[in-house]
Amino acid sequence: MKLNKRFIILLGLMLVFSMTLAACGGGGEEPAPQDDATQEEETEEEAAEETAGEPQYGGDLIYGQTGNPQLFNPLYSQDTASGDIEALIFAGLMRTDENLNVVPHLGEPVEVSEDGLEHIYRIYEGVKWHDGEEVTADDVVFTFSIPLHEDYDGPRKSYFENLETVEKIDDYTVKFILKKPDAAWPITAGYELLPEHILGDVPVAELGEHEFNRNPIGAGPFKFDEWVEGQYVRLVAHEDYFEGRPYLDSITVKITGDSNAQVLQLQTGDIQMGAFPSEEFSTVETFDHVNISQILRYAYNYFGFNFRNEFFQDLRVRQAIAHALDRQAIIDATLDGHGEVAHGPVSPLSWAWTDELTVYEYDPEKAKALLAEAGWEPGSDGVLEKDGKKFEIEILYNEENIARRNTAVIMQEQLAEVGIKATPKSLEWGAFLDTINPPNYDFDTVILGWALGTDPNPKQIFHSAEIEQGLNNISYVNEELDKLMDEAAVELDEEKRKELLQEIFKILSEDLPYVFLNYPMDNVAYPKNLHGFTHHPRVPFYKAHEWWLEQ
Amino acid sequence: MTAYILRRLIMTIPILLGISILSFAIMHLAPGDPASMLMDPTISPEDRERMAERLGLNDPPHVQYLKWMGNILQGELGTSYVQRRPVADIIMERLPNTLVLMIASSLFAIILAIPFGVLSATRQYSTLDYSVTTFSFIGVATPNFWLGLMLLMIFSVQLGWFPAGGIQTINAPFSIWDRIHHLILPMIVLGTYDMASLMRYTRSSMLEVIRQDYIRTARAKGFRERTVIYKHGLRNAMIPVITIFGLMLPTFIGGSVVVETLFSWPGIGQLFINSVFQRDYPVIMALTMFSAVLVVIGNLLADILYAIVDPRIEY
Repeated sequence: MKLNKRFIILLGLMLVFSMTLAACGGGGEEPAPQDDATQEEETEEEAAEETAGEPQYGGDLIYGQTGNPQLFNPLYSQDTASGDIEALIFAGLMRTDENLNVVPHLGEPVEVSEDGLEHIYRIYEGVKWHDGEEVTADDVVFTFSIPLHEDYDGPRKSYFENLETVEKIDDYTVKFILKKPDAAWPITAGYELLPEHILGDVPVAELGEHEFNRNPIGAGPFKFDEWVEGQYVRLVAHEDYFEGRPYLDSITVKITGDSNAQVLQLQTGDIQMGAFPSEEFSTVETFDHVNISQILRYAYNYFGFNFRNEFFQDLRVRQAIAHALDRQAIIDATLDGHGEVAHGPVSPLSWAWTDELTVYEYDPEKAKALLAEAGWEPGSDGVLEKDGKKFEIEILYNEENIARRNTAVIMQEQLAEVGIKATPKSLEWGAFLDTINPPNYDFDTVILGWALGTDPNPKQIFHSAEIEQGLNNISYVNEELDKLMDEAAVELDEEKRKELLQEIFKILSEDLPYVFLNYPMDNVAYPKNLHGFTHHPRVPFYKAHEWWLEQ
Repeated sequence: MTAYILRRLIMTIPILLGISILSFAIMHLAPGDPASMLMDPTISPEDRERMAERLGLNDPPHVQYLKWMGNILQGELGTSYVQRRPVADIIMERLPNTLVLMIASSLFAIILAIPFGVLSATRQYSTLDYSVTTFSFIGVATPNFWLGLMLLMIFSVQLGWFPAGGIQTINAPFSIWDRIHHLILPMIVLGTYDMASLMRYTRSSMLEVIRQDYIRTARAKGFRERTVIYKHGLRNAMIPVITIFGLMLPTFIGGSVVVETLFSWPGIGQLFINSVFQRDYPVIMALTMFSAVLVVIGNLLADILYAIVDPRIEY
């Protein structure tokens, strides 16, 4: 027994040793004491009515995020997990407000030349970087010169391909010279700025690997403080933020891994705030300690036809399928009812929205009639046939997405009712992309979604020039539409542009390269004592300097 | 013995080489490559192509392999495609977390498995024996993720005794207790399977040993039962158990993939799964080789321990 005891003590020591080992990796300084639970309750009751309108300084917020950020440099990061946090740390000349309008942020446009090629922007005076230096025209010139440099090896080069040069006029004024008129330029001009006084001497080829990317300095409302890989990123208030010091002392973005863990940690209070999928809505609704904010996400889900499959080249077939799908039922079953039926590739949130889209109502009888008109006759087993071919297709989706999996199964049933035999097929995301993208295009139909860009022109998705290499993986060709989308890209007059875009959306909703399924919802749970939160359809930390916690 | 160990170590070279070629081949044959994972509409095909070029993905696979091998021989694990920093740094940040979890769950497994295995053997057909046997069957049959979810539902959500994930409380000062608090559930989940199977092995090995002649001899000599069991019996019964344990070591990496994902535990397992989804080849290769080395070392350790506890073995 003696030996056993000694053995156990030894093992115990090893355990302790290994704990300190881990502590070396991630011991945080600056511990903020946790709030006393009792104190919190008291103040909540007392102060609920009195101070609800009065913003208070202080408080630490723990925000849960499923993705693991990779690096913090807007010109090099590729994932939304990094991008979301970058939006707290960095700031650009312009930004997108909650109604998706491009509005001034660190500066504003003051002059555009007649031909639309020269754009002059002025930076507000007194805007400070996190280290106290002032943001100047040099920073703008520096930032926009990086992607123009031949050594730049990040993923954003084409984003700036229309930019010829950028010049400093004086300390607060810059001039951008474009290669051709660009209706979406103000969005590009709002790109988040990098500090010239820190990175100016770094060769462009080394920027991607530079330590700055793990220790960023920006001009946004929150300063980077600490990053423990795989666990959390801590950001603290930027005292000199030009729109005023943020009310919160800190925001800690905790990495939760997946949405199950995210919801669980919301429930237990390990995280205080975070987004969650619509499927979990009825679960999160039962949590007493959070409020839920729900708005439309700036995105749509769709059911895409591969035009390389001759079945789908006939418009009547596509229309028949649109009539055969009960899209509201799909929303009810897969998104817990949280979503809106979509009819075109434009979000109701967009300024270019039109309600003159063609609506294909759920009508199986009409679907059958259309299919019959297109020459499809029921065979002996009930499956439609034409020229000896059976109407058998696969519905491809990525297996990680539960809502899409359920969508595929429901579609299988609904399509069977009109005589189409559809088989759901899933692939892991990487394999999935490989299959649907050029040069393979190896699918019949696909369930997928697009997160929309600030500029609503759907050129990258539906233009025939995007088939060989781009995102038009369904190989959709419509020459009339090509022309309209090209026009809309260079049209600077807003009214004319809106008309063009609406025309494009109307054509697409009629011609059905996709059956547009739904606009999903964006759900955010936040603590009951958080105020000032503005739910932005694309930016999770939008105006985080206005958020405050009732103490 | 030294010669034996050396011989064994040299033998590992062709094994590791073979593993590296195989895993490289599988990785490249699998659909989806790092550049195609960027389907963000703001990333254009030209950019994707440029990045593929920069990462050397346009080279033929054998050239890529030779480049990788050349780096490895110089002690270079390469640079992560996604995080754009040395793979070695990334792994070293995560390794301690996984080690903590592995060591804790091994201890958890050993500390419970051996005494109960022995008791269950010495009291064969007693209530305790039946309970241990039943428990170990259940333990072996319970999938990690299910057990994890159950524990989370009961102890984190319902009772609120343990945190639901992570390795420390955010915004709180470092404390050992806090770390242990976060460690307990994942440790139990990761250790349960091994504990259950170790218990079975200990029990059956012990049962076999106590029927041996030398045990009878020891008893006949008048030693106390405790001495007979623990000094003469246990030492011999442990021989196969140690081997099994050595072979279990690498399975911790596999098991930790599930556990780390479930408990948001930032270790190697989580890193591996993320890297696979992102097709971060350098990280995948480094981790594959890392677990290959673990398997080899586990085997070697088992053999050496075997030699230490069993004097009959000669080299």
